[in-house]
Amino acid sequence: MNYQILLLQLLPEAVLVFTALVLLGVSVGVESKRSRPVTPRLTIGIATAGIVLAFVALLREPAQAGSGTPLVAMDLLARVGKGLALALGLLAVWLPPARGESRNVGEFHALMLFALAGLLLAAGTNHLLFLFVSLELASLSLYLLVGFPRTAKAAEASMKYFLFGAVSAAFMWFGLSLLYGFSQSAMLPVIGAKLGADPGSLLAMAGLLMFLAGIGFKLAAAPFHYWAPDVYQGGPATSVALVSAASKLVGIVVLVRVLSLGFQAAAGSADWGNMTAGWSLWLAVLAAVSMIFGNLLALAQTSMRRLLAYSAVANTGYLLTAVVANGSKSSGAALFHVVVYGLATLGALAVTAAVERERGDDRITSFAGLIHRSPFQAVCLLVFLASLAGIPPLAGFFGKFAIFSSVLAESTREGNPGLVWLVGLGAVLSAASLYYYLTVIKQAFVFQSGQSDSGRLPASHALCIGVAALALVLLGLCPTMISASIARAVGSLMP
Amino acid sequence: MTPAWTIPSAFAGALLVLLLPARMAMASRVVALVAAIVGALAAGVSCLARLRDPDAGIWSFNVPWVPEPGIRFHLAADGLALTLLFLTGITAIAGVLFSWNVEKRPRAFFAWFLTIIGGAYGVFLSRDAFLLFVFYEIVILPKYLLIAIWGSTNKEYGAMKLTMYSIGASALILLGIATAYAAAGGTSFDLMHLASANYSDGLQAWAFPVLFLGFAVLAGVWPLHTWAPTGHVAAPTAASMLLAGVVMKLGAYGALVVAMPLFEQGFEQWKPVIAGLAVTGILYGALTALTQKDLKFVIGYSSVSHMGFILLGLAVANHWGLRGAVMQMISHGIIAGLLFGIAGRVVYERTHTRDLMALKDFDLWKTLPGAALGFTLATAASMGLPGFSGFVAEISVIIGLWQKWPWLTALVALGIIVTGAFSLRALHRAFFPERSPSDAPPAKLPPLTWPEISAIVLLLAVSIAIGLYPKPWIALIDEALRSPLFQSFLTQP
Repeated sequence: MNYQILLLQLLPEAVLVFTALVLLGVSVGVESKRSRPVTPRLTIGIATAGIVLAFVALLREPAQAGSGTPLVAMDLLARVGKGLALALGLLAVWLPPARGESRNVGEFHALMLFALAGLLLAAGTNHLLFLFVSLELASLSLYLLVGFPRTAKAAEASMKYFLFGAVSAAFMWFGLSLLYGFSQSAMLPVIGAKLGADPGSLLAMAGLLMFLAGIGFKLAAAPFHYWAPDVYQGGPATSVALVSAASKLVGIVVLVRVLSLGFQAAAGSADWGNMTAGWSLWLAVLAAVSMIFGNLLALAQTSMRRLLAYSAVANTGYLLTAVVANGSKSSGAALFHVVVYGLATLGALAVTAAVERERGDDRITSFAGLIHRSPFQAVCLLVFLASLAGIPPLAGFFGKFAIFSSVLAESTREGNPGLVWLVGLGAVLSAASLYYYLTVIKQAFVFQSGQSDSGRLPASHALCIGVAALALVLLGLCPTMISASIARAVGSLMP
Repeated sequence: MTPAWTIPSAFAGALLVLLLPARMAMASRVVALVAAIVGALAAGVSCLARLRDPDAGIWSFNVPWVPEPGIRFHLAADGLALTLLFLTGITAIAGVLFSWNVEKRPRAFFAWFLTIIGGAYGVFLSRDAFLLFVFYEIVILPKYLLIAIWGSTNKEYGAMKLTMYSIGASALILLGIATAYAAAGGTSFDLMHLASANYSDGLQAWAFPVLFLGFAVLAGVWPLHTWAPTGHVAAPTAASMLLAGVVMKLGAYGALVVAMPLFEQGFEQWKPVIAGLAVTGILYGALTALTQKDLKFVIGYSSVSHMGFILLGLAVANHWGLRGAVMQMISHGIIAGLLFGIAGRVVYERTHTRDLMALKDFDLWKTLPGAALGFTLATAASMGLPGFSGFVAEISVIIGLWQKWPWLTALVALGIIVTGAFSLRALHRAFFPERSPSDAPPAKLPPLTWPEISAIVLLLAVSIAIGLYPKPWIALIDEALRSPLFQSFLTQP
């Protein structure tokens, strides 16, 4: 193995890890020299520089395929997925920790970079063992990030996240070992070839089922979503932003990659009247349950963060609907939508964090009169929630429409009803979701607030909100900005 | 001026209003009025140009938008679109004039108002199903905010109910359009492309009702009409005018240019059901209006009844029926705007009641003679008396109905009689009450302001002009109905 090529192939991740080490060093140095902790402004600056450098490294032409290690896939899907994850990660970094959470910000941002490095590695590998290790690198960092503030709530959230995560990792691990036993290889293409020769293998199906349960946990698909409301509510907004946006994006990339390269022969079918066992059917059930659970439970929430958690579950349902169709257009639509969803949720979390700064809690009633206190935050919140609800001209509308129309186009042929049942369910529930988003919009725009003593938001916080909102508007007016490269990336994997 | 001015005028106006400093309330009104006038002028001038030179090609604008799923930014202005653009423009001007006294956050009010106008222009001009749906959805949030912030009676309930009905209906439309797109090959959303594709009978049998119902909910089809009266009553005056005058027409227009041309065989199967629902709506709306105590509820239910004529014309689907349906879209848009304007703005803002019994004490024909005169004429127009636009529209629908289902005309005639009854009852109780000399003298009310007078005169003038000289409108509509889009389902008697 040529280590120089390996380094070049993994340059973005290497830059992230190096920056994280610099952050740790700087925070220790500053603290011992000036005997007070390093400021968030400095660490956010360093982390931003690291992520931008990683992005630049990513833009370089990839090294020759085959000359490096087989662990690293340098295909277009990996590069596009990594780029989008970096962008979403950057926005999360810009969201500064709240006042009580700003001890050891150097460590905090270093952990964020470690998590991001893990996510990037996971997005670009065809090797199941390496995939597992990368996902665990990301997950361990995320468990720590959620529990970082050392409050009881955060500790509870972190513990729940960790316990559920550990169990799901065990499932995934067991599933991977079964898959290895089946094919004597951890490489996806080899597994795919073996499975093509023996499509009904019980061993492989059991392994895949367990693997999907593990991914279902990462994506917060019902019924593996129980950690989500507590993590969203208890963790620092910054950590939750990373969990909800970048981590979910990578989950979808991994799912698309694993299923299309390794398990085409085990797809089965979820078409109406023609259901056969396979991951399509399993994921269709997960999708339906997630959409129903997420949307119905979100209706009853009084806390904004819990509402966003259940909306995350519901959106996982839409994303899985797209994956079920097993086509390049629908998978592209899933990737587009997960980016758009990530931007909107991240932005909504950032506005929630701003409201918490002022009001001390995230109850939906605390948003009352936001339009008078801060027109900027209120208008951006409108953009985020309207995009989540799928109102044009925002990108969320295009994302949902692309999912539903491409799934129908790929699953219905010659009078076959295909996935109309799943799309119909999704369309109706997605319409119902406007209700709970509107309850927040109503508070922000219709009601009056009691007092108004808005302290200024830190610049990076406002930047995070503004950039996310602007991106949603621009992507809604001109989705091709990212959808074209996503389509090429997915097309390179799927015919 | 071409139709190209309409959409940008509304959206640019909305943006400009928002950019004004907060204290310049007057400037925001003026900007909104100018934006509305520009849009209406563009529509009017385009109508005239089209009439003068009917053989010239229609104005269109067609550029790719998102190439991957095959979405084009395709606008075109045939006679059908032009007449409805004109209606939207007139309603926009009248709406701004009737909202002249909005003091609460006027900038946001006019910005949302103009956004709805822009969305409506966009729907009427779109020739791409996706684009049409985008414009159709743009109006949902502004509708909610206009009612929830500036509304009255039970506003949060009314706003939420209306919004949930709209978005639920949109889910059906999305499903219908996506199904058509998938079945037509998954390459283009262009309406002509989708309409010329062959869909299997089984698909049409379920996809047509899904798509049609999605549009029909917004058109107030019975029994899914209940959002309309509560929404209209809760809305501020300008929003009531827009909802009844323009937004309900978006639903009817979508049914006509999307649902019916795409799935013509499904339409053929479901025609009798639609006609049945439409006639039920005509009768039910009229009978319910007869028992209302609130003047705005009377108008709200009368809208349900009048929208029934549009759906009936669509279901009849012969030349008279469709022509009548489109004429009724324009006519009801103008008349409902006028009725809501007088009831919600002129009367309510002065008396602070819309209760028919309470209005008695104000003796309005003496204290507000201008409003009484305007409402009387509007009532006459609403009842479909000759000389007003409503007559032309409803008689066309009835002629079409006679050719198709003669026995149904009896029921519709019954509806017209009840319409006369509830209209006269409301007019009588609200404006010409019987008072004994011993009653306390009515309180003095402020006279009509110039924005109110000009809005009333404008709407009345348009209604009477159409009623006395409908020929140019009929010419525009007939010319549009010859488009290949409609030939698959347009039956000749």
